[in-house]
Amino acid sequence: MSADTALPAASCYLDEETFRLSCGLFLEHSHSLNDGWTWEMFSGSEKEGYMKKTVMVPCRLSSTPCQRRVVDDTDGLAEDEQLSDQDESAGELPGAEGQAVLRYEYHVLYSCSYQIPILYFRASTLEGRSLSLEEVWKNVHPNYQQRLRQGPWDTITQQEHPLLGQPFFMLHPCKTEEFMRPALETAHAKRMGVNYIVTWLSVVGPVVGLDVPLSYALAVGAPVPGTSASASAAASTAASAAASTSASAPD
Amino acid sequence: MADDSTGKGPGTTKLQFAPFCSALEAGFWHQLTQKKLNDYRLDESPKSIKGYYYNGDPVGLPTRLTLEFSAFEVDGPTPLRCCTATGILYNTNTLEAFRSIDKKALLDKEACEIWKEIQSGAALQNPSILNKFILLTFADLKKYHFYYWFCFPVLCFSEGIPIIQEPVSLNLKFSAKQISGLQEAYDNLCSTNNTTAVPYFLVKYSEEEVRVAPIHEWEAFFTDFKTVTVGVYDPCTLAQHPGWPLRNFLILIASKWGAQLDVVEVLCFRDRTLQGTRSVQHSIIFQVKLPDLSASTGCPKSVGWEKNQKGAMGPRSVNLSECMDPKRLAESSVDLNLKLMRWRLVPTLDLDKVVSTKCLLLGAGTLGCNVARTLMGWGVRHITFVDNAKISYSNPVRQPLYEFDDCLAGGKSKALAAVERLRKIFPGVNAEGFNMSIPMPGHPVNFSEVTLEQARRDVEQLEALISSHDVVFLLMDTRESRWLPTVLAASQRKLVVNAALGFDTFVVMRHGLKRPRGESAESSPSSSCTSASSSSIPGMPSLPGASLFSNIPGHRLGCYFCNDVVAPGDSTRDRTLDQQCTVSRPGLAMIAGALAVEMMVSILQHPEGGYAVASSSDDRMNEPPTSLGLVPHQIRGFLARFDNVLPASLAFDKCTACSPIVLDHYEREGFQFLSKVFNSSHSFLEDLTGLTLLHQETQAAESAGVRPQQDSSLTNKTLEKFLRLWESPTSVLPPCPSGAV
Repeated sequence: MSADTALPAASCYLDEETFRLSCGLFLEHSHSLNDGWTWEMFSGSEKEGYMKKTVMVPCRLSSTPCQRRVVDDTDGLAEDEQLSDQDESAGELPGAEGQAVLRYEYHVLYSCSYQIPILYFRASTLEGRSLSLEEVWKNVHPNYQQRLRQGPWDTITQQEHPLLGQPFFMLHPCKTEEFMRPALETAHAKRMGVNYIVTWLSVVGPVVGLDVPLSYALAVGAPVPGTSASASAAASTAASAAASTSASAPD
Repeated sequence: MADDSTGKGPGTTKLQFAPFCSALEAGFWHQLTQKKLNDYRLDESPKSIKGYYYNGDPVGLPTRLTLEFSAFEVDGPTPLRCCTATGILYNTNTLEAFRSIDKKALLDKEACEIWKEIQSGAALQNPSILNKFILLTFADLKKYHFYYWFCFPVLCFSEGIPIIQEPVSLNLKFSAKQISGLQEAYDNLCSTNNTTAVPYFLVKYSEEEVRVAPIHEWEAFFTDFKTVTVGVYDPCTLAQHPGWPLRNFLILIASKWGAQLDVVEVLCFRDRTLQGTRSVQHSIIFQVKLPDLSASTGCPKSVGWEKNQKGAMGPRSVNLSECMDPKRLAESSVDLNLKLMRWRLVPTLDLDKVVSTKCLLLGAGTLGCNVARTLMGWGVRHITFVDNAKISYSNPVRQPLYEFDDCLAGGKSKALAAVERLRKIFPGVNAEGFNMSIPMPGHPVNFSEVTLEQARRDVEQLEALISSHDVVFLLMDTRESRWLPTVLAASQRKLVVNAALGFDTFVVMRHGLKRPRGESAESSPSSSCTSASSSSIPGMPSLPGASLFSNIPGHRLGCYFCNDVVAPGDSTRDRTLDQQCTVSRPGLAMIAGALAVEMMVSILQHPEGGYAVASSSDDRMNEPPTSLGLVPHQIRGFLARFDNVLPASLAFDKCTACSPIVLDHYEREGFQFLSKVFNSSHSFLEDLTGLTLLHQETQAAESAGVRPQQDSSLTNKTLEKFLRLWESPTSVLPPCPSGAV
């Protein structure tokens, strides 16, 4: 890499400090929009945490998977006669139950090993049952399925959430460089400060049904790093570029 | 109104409420599991928990009460712009207790509690206690099945609540100025209360302004008591109906001020933001006539148990084994991880073919252990071990499925211990172990009826095992123990992958896969050669012009014994210990074991499988035949040079294991033939296959000093070249490699 050119090279990597600062700006805008993103601290540490958003989506599939997999042996759990008269004259709107809804939960975490953000997500029914990857795919609109499967980021895998220890799906970071490099280099050439999180999330989010409104791109800029922060960022970038076999050095 | 039919009484429509729909996050169940295992254990006493609801949903979503991971931290924060509901958890120890617990009594108890708090005025000060819930659970943690039943207790007016003015959208009633005034007043109330959501509030409005106040300020806020407007944070999105939280609030109003009030106007406050634009104008507003409850002292009738998914009054259940059972998680993680390889690097990789292959591992020593681990890495589920040895103290450092403890008390059986360890590594594996011996040529079995019978059973067992598997790995430590499985597998047309070690050399090879029966007649060179009486090198001359080692189809490839000119016999006799028990460089077994599995995977990826033409070292620059690359016949490795070569060789028509005459005898005579081989010296097989004759002819030709005829000299040269390849000092000769024990 050529650190001695006029412009420092656009990096596809992100140090942890810049990640947090970028998230901070992202969250600020989310609050002003009421867009639902929050910062979840982990075990009380402000530093260790992740951005989270939960979205409720009507289930595309009428009966499966939203209402399936009810435990079979409900023999002894039939209707309770004693209570079955409760809705008579009780003012309860009938037929409100059974609306099929899925809960999508998105987490943005920092990966120290890849030095980039990673999008974790899971989808579950209102009973709390997580959907399998197949079921998630089935709920993706067929118009998008074909395109998404061929995309450069079709690398969803299951992984334990690094902080929660629960099973999540994640978009494998191996392709991140592929789409971040052109975006960052363009911005870099135009000397535009872009917010890494905004650029990155607006690419990977839609793949798994997460919308990032356009106003983020207009309103959220890059964090202004202190000199020490930027120095360490450059250092870690260099180290990671050298260490990573797949990464070609930025020119 | 669309819901007229459901209203009661002629002329008057009664107000109907959309009930809460319970919404549980996976994190809630994880946390409940942890609590049950670590804190509650057998404690069934009620526990305080909490949930929340939200009034900003887009139209079409059900009115939900959500419980998540944080439900057990009662004092923890509530998500922004959400209202809290406090709950009581009854987690029973048995399904029977879950079933038999008196639900009516639980509901009545909570309802009375609410009624008392209304009477005492506590609910005025802290109106969120009007939103309570009961959660009854039974967690079957063996199966990860959870049974649960929610109750959202509300008190009822016995005659219902007559609607005076039908619900309308707020923008039909309020001007834009009033709407923004309401929004501002509500936000101020929130910030005064240091919160982001207020469940209940009082409203006063005029053309000019909108004011709101907390409900405990009722007396001061309302001067005229005939008609009042109250606000409720409403999680419902239906245009004609309020959500559940309004119910107990109306009871509170009727109980406190029912005597003075004529009509109550209700503002169901809904506050959502879409794409950055906030809106409250879709809130609904309507008027009801409240029955007077100020005189009643007894707790009104109550309802609230949630219906299940079928719309019946019964509990719900959910099976979370897929996301909570560690074994299921391991399985899906392993599979997804392998799929990642396909997505990223080898899009055409047929993983199912690999994963579903049933592998029989003959030998559970250094090679067997390493082969098994590599198979597991590929997601292979069905692995069977055959070995008759016990684990000794020297084994664990080289055989990665065993530990020191396995050596104690005489040592566990390798085959069984290996299975045990595989299950520990990956519970999803379908492994089986057979502690049995494989009868060998030159190792007589006819000492007694008992030994003969045992040998017969062992052969039958091995035949059955080979028949029920797809790939047979030969990973034993002696040459002669490979003979029987080579014959059986050749006869059954099963793919054989063979690995053998020297000190710093190894061979990994696939045996030629004979054509299916019936097809073998047509132009099969091996069959034409068996009848050939010439002493030329078998199998080779019939391919005029073809390079010796290139483009050999899978059915014409040799087996482990094809390159031998002596039959297998007792190789341990007359040898010193270091010759019997070959010591190899410790890394060798890992390399060879891994290569054996990778060779199998490459073979499986070839459309012709075991019939694939053998790739050779020369093909390294060519377009590979499979997505994973070459499919060689043999990999011969030389650790001293850190080098591998990929030779290929033809099946030998005088082979002591896979030649037609041997297979023919086995298939016709069965165990009778096999026992003759076990009991005889090696000359039996050599005589049978014609090796003896070959020796004699060669010797005769040499001693006569006759210059061979032209074409036999060619073949002799070829033979020399052929043998030299194997006889370089560092190479593993097929006759001698044996696995380090």
